[in-house]
Amino acid sequence: MLKIDNLHVKLEEEDKQILKGVTLEVPAGEVHAIMGPNGSGKSTLSYVLSGRDGYEVTEGSAMLGDIDLLELEPEERAAAGMFLAFQYPVEIPGVGNMTFLRTAVNAQRKARGQEEMSAADFLKFVRAKAKDLKIDADMLKRPVNVGFSGGEKKRNEILQMAMLEPKMCILDETDSGLDVDAMKLVSDGVNALRDENRGFLVITHYQRLLDHIVPDVVHIMAGGRIVKSGGPELALEVEKNGYADLMETA
Amino acid sequence: MAIAKEKLLARRRDALSARLETLTLPEGGAWITEARKTALARLETMGLPTGRDEYWRFTKPESLNAAEPEPAAVFDHGEETPVFDAVERTRIVFVDGVFDAAQSDDLSVDGIEIERLEDAARADIHWAKDIYGAIETRGQTPVERPHAALNTAFATDGVLIRVTGKAEKPVSLIYQHKNETSDAFLHNVVRVEAGGELTLLENGPAAARFNKVLEVDIAAGGRLHHIRAQGRDHERRAVTGMFVRQDEDSLFKSFTLTVNGRLTRNEIYVDLEGPNASAHVAGAALGHGDFHHDDTVFIRHDAENCESRQVFKKVLQEGAIGTFQGKILVERGAQKTDGYQKSQSLLLDDGANFLAKPELEIYADDVACSHGSTSGAIDKDMLFYLRARGIDEKTAMDLLVIAFVAEAMEEVEDERFREELVERLEGWLLRRRG
Amino acid sequence: MAQDEHTIVKEGVEKETVDAVKSLGDKYKYGWETDIEMDYAPKGLTEDIVRLISQKNEEPEWMTEWRLNAYRRWLQMEEPDWAMVDYPEIDFQDQYYYARPKSMETKPKSLDEVDPKLLATYEKLGIPLKEQMILAGVEGAGEVPADGDNSDRKVAVDAVFDSVSVGTTFQKELKEAGVIFCSISEAIREHPELVKKYLGSVVPPTDNFYATLNSAVFSDGSFVYIPPGVRCPMELSTYFRINAENTGQFERTLIIADREAYVSYLEGCTAPQRDIAQLHAAVVEIVILDDAEVKYSTVQNWYPGDENGKGGIYNFVTKRADCRGDRSKVMWTQVETGSAVTWKYPSCVLRGDESQGEFYSIAITNNMQQADTGTKMTHLGKNTRSRIVSKGISAGRSNNTYRGLVSMHPKATNSRNYTQCDSLLIGDQCGAHTVPYIEVKNQSSRVEHEATTSKVDDDQMFYCRQRGMDEEEAVALIVNGFAKEVLQALPMEFAMEAQQLVAISLEGSVG
Repeated sequence: MLKIDNLHVKLEEEDKQILKGVTLEVPAGEVHAIMGPNGSGKSTLSYVLSGRDGYEVTEGSAMLGDIDLLELEPEERAAAGMFLAFQYPVEIPGVGNMTFLRTAVNAQRKARGQEEMSAADFLKFVRAKAKDLKIDADMLKRPVNVGFSGGEKKRNEILQMAMLEPKMCILDETDSGLDVDAMKLVSDGVNALRDENRGFLVITHYQRLLDHIVPDVVHIMAGGRIVKSGGPELALEVEKNGYADLMETA
Repeated sequence: MAIAKEKLLARRRDALSARLETLTLPEGGAWITEARKTALARLETMGLPTGRDEYWRFTKPESLNAAEPEPAAVFDHGEETPVFDAVERTRIVFVDGVFDAAQSDDLSVDGIEIERLEDAARADIHWAKDIYGAIETRGQTPVERPHAALNTAFATDGVLIRVTGKAEKPVSLIYQHKNETSDAFLHNVVRVEAGGELTLLENGPAAARFNKVLEVDIAAGGRLHHIRAQGRDHERRAVTGMFVRQDEDSLFKSFTLTVNGRLTRNEIYVDLEGPNASAHVAGAALGHGDFHHDDTVFIRHDAENCESRQVFKKVLQEGAIGTFQGKILVERGAQKTDGYQKSQSLLLDDGANFLAKPELEIYADDVACSHGSTSGAIDKDMLFYLRARGIDEKTAMDLLVIAFVAEAMEEVEDERFREELVERLEGWLLRRRG
Repeated sequence: MAQDEHTIVKEGVEKETVDAVKSLGDKYKYGWETDIEMDYAPKGLTEDIVRLISQKNEEPEWMTEWRLNAYRRWLQMEEPDWAMVDYPEIDFQDQYYYARPKSMETKPKSLDEVDPKLLATYEKLGIPLKEQMILAGVEGAGEVPADGDNSDRKVAVDAVFDSVSVGTTFQKELKEAGVIFCSISEAIREHPELVKKYLGSVVPPTDNFYATLNSAVFSDGSFVYIPPGVRCPMELSTYFRINAENTGQFERTLIIADREAYVSYLEGCTAPQRDIAQLHAAVVEIVILDDAEVKYSTVQNWYPGDENGKGGIYNFVTKRADCRGDRSKVMWTQVETGSAVTWKYPSCVLRGDESQGEFYSIAITNNMQQADTGTKMTHLGKNTRSRIVSKGISAGRSNNTYRGLVSMHPKATNSRNYTQCDSLLIGDQCGAHTVPYIEVKNQSSRVEHEATTSKVDDDQMFYCRQRGMDEEEAVALIVNGFAKEVLQALPMEFAMEAQQLVAISLEGSVG
């Protein structure tokens, strides 16, 4: 489903190469994890795949199915099924969470040639999804992410994921800033979305999230490259020995 | 006197004499004749503003001063229903500054007395005597507002509203513009008696050039909600003055939405004279191209424990200019004052300009006053977040524009009006996209 | 009462501050005068007086003409009246424009030849004109625990007494580094090419009423030139002393930091306590070329007048830095505690791309003092940055105004300004005002301005007093915390002095 081939990325503003040839394939139905030390390029990968400004792809490709992601605007990528759960969800004062969700859902439906959802249907839809994630009505009324706790922000990201039904989900350090209960809630939310048509790329610094969201494949990223891939046991190895050993053997 | 000051005053007086050539003091009963004469005397000491005046450094006054107005095309609204149309209200219609009985509702309403200025002006005594021109006069210091004095002297039409109880429905002043060269003065007076409550709506472009004064006197415990939508005629010009005096425990809330217009100068002067009074004034202005919008606000705290809020937002592009001059003055003894002021602009492209002077002048120590002013482009992170969720760039921009002005709209308490204004704004943004 | 200590006492207030308050007795400790024989030019201002000043300084013809042009221009100008300060009309013909100690008639060749009375004056002010390791201008400075690099810090001093510079220390050592540090009168004689090139290039002789007056009659001041690539080996300072009666001081300072140069410059000022107000109208010009940096710190402690507003210095100062080069940087830090009237706006012209300007200010007014001070940040170059932090403290019956301009020109794309203005009121008879002007003419620049006004927090006061401080000590402590961000921007010795000054300036403001 997601096929990244020899991806090289530098910062647009300065001459700094961040990704130096990332190759990675996430087939539909699988969960892949990317682990790696700070500054290894994990977040950059997620931003480049979702189309954020400020990066320049100098080489390589990223395909979602037969769609060339790098050719598309961020919203076109979203409509094609790419979803990024942000490490730091952006606060947008003045925009109600509900308005935001509805606009997003309908924008994507429209882009896919589906009919827009009526206000009543939407309300039912959002309430059902919100309930699963223990998101109360108040959180839906407040402006997007404004005044949300760390856990609330992450749950709001998963709520959006559930509502937008993407094909490919990237979770960027979704576990950061979560306590045990919140981590469980968020993981349950993600696990409920796992099915044979959807791929996941879970970016994390720590192994503990992978206890909850068990990956099929674990990749270790360092210095802008995937340096090692393996099964879930690779994550445990990292947990035990840190990254240094792995990077040496790579 | 310093030579420079003398020169400046001479220029102001020259501007005034040029203006007065086309005007004659209207006739009327004893009370209004007196008010008009003193207004003219006041005006003659000030003259009309020049670009060298401190409070006109951001806005050119010439087209507002000129003897004749620049013509302004009438905007074609097509099938669109006028703003506030869906709400039950008492409609009072002025066409190019002249009362239109045929389009207006019956002026007898429970809880309020409404009278045309023209009728009241014929009487020799009237309750409005202590308000008409009086609150405006108070508002002339420390900053002169000559166009308001000009209005007090020469306005012949407008309404006088006395609110004795809780008005059952809003009073809606509708200012239609039909004549491309109209030059209108309107002077309205609202007296909210103790415990009275009214929602006052104003909308419409009014004239090619519009000089309007609204004087408001709110007695103890009275409440006035004021919502205004200034018409969309691209070429219209307006200078408006809102002068408010508040007694204890009173509430004044005002919100103005401005889209389009070549030049709009909205001056607001609020005098908090009684303790525990509260004044919230807000505005949202959106313009592109040849658009100049000026909010000049002055809030005077002259009693203990009063609260004031100013929230002014501007969205500007393609050469549009937005200016804000706002001041919180806390007089000696006005302890426990809570004063807040925020002025922000969103610049959608490089042609737009934002010019601001947010001031605090404080002579009491036990106060909490603050102001904030920002200017900048649309936040890129917000835009990306919205787009990453599948919302296209233009829709995302519009969402962020509406979000940006939302804080100012919060001053519209009645949800019906707030929602309608947001819809109007969305429509405007959509049409702007073409 | 369980209270979190952090919420009560503002951070950063040192115990030394409180001790300092105790140790210092008099309200204005620099109020004495030096009894010394003076040479005065006749009272009043005419072309002849301008010529005389030029002649006393042994200036070349071009400089005399420069002054005369300014004088003629000045005659056409009017005193500005837009500031929120109110003072009796100044009779510019009732002033002495030139006063020089008789002993300075022949210029001493070295500090050893300087009149002992003058040396004693500076000694008493705490500024001995000896080449010593640290600036002794501050009691207690020597006791500051040396944090490594402090122990061998040197400060060169140019001492200006009324109209003339009496001496400059460390000239030899500075010369070895290529740095020129001398009086401006000497620079006009010795380095005319530099003076011609830069004098009036930042503050033109026609700039404003007081700057134009200064251009006509400035008698002395300091000159600094840091050559390309040189990091000035020590801090430079000028100490201004007004001594003579009815005499205005008009000094002019010109600082040039050539490419990649760096200098930190300190300025201090005091004057005797007199019933009649005295005029001070200075000009400071700073030119900063590519990649150079200048830090300019002022502790202004002119005599503020008595508690009824009698006497004091009228301080009308034009200070401006021109960040002419790319990536150039200037930082103004000022502690304004003195003067009856202050009219002063140290400004930054951010002309070079990526240039930076900073302004940190504490202005304290007490009794009948009036201060109208702030800055102008003019962003002309791309990616320029400016930061303004202003802390105003008003007490007594004083008025304290922040006035500032932030201007983003159309070509100054991607620039940023952040402004924070906080005012603190002590007592219900004073005033605190904020008058910022903001002009943004491009989209990609961001301007943020925040201002607050409040009084000294009752809970903080109570907490301090419960711990045994009297009201004045508590106020000094809290005010120092309020102003911490600015105090931190000062060189260490100045920061100490400033903390003490804060306490002294506020004496009598409570109770």
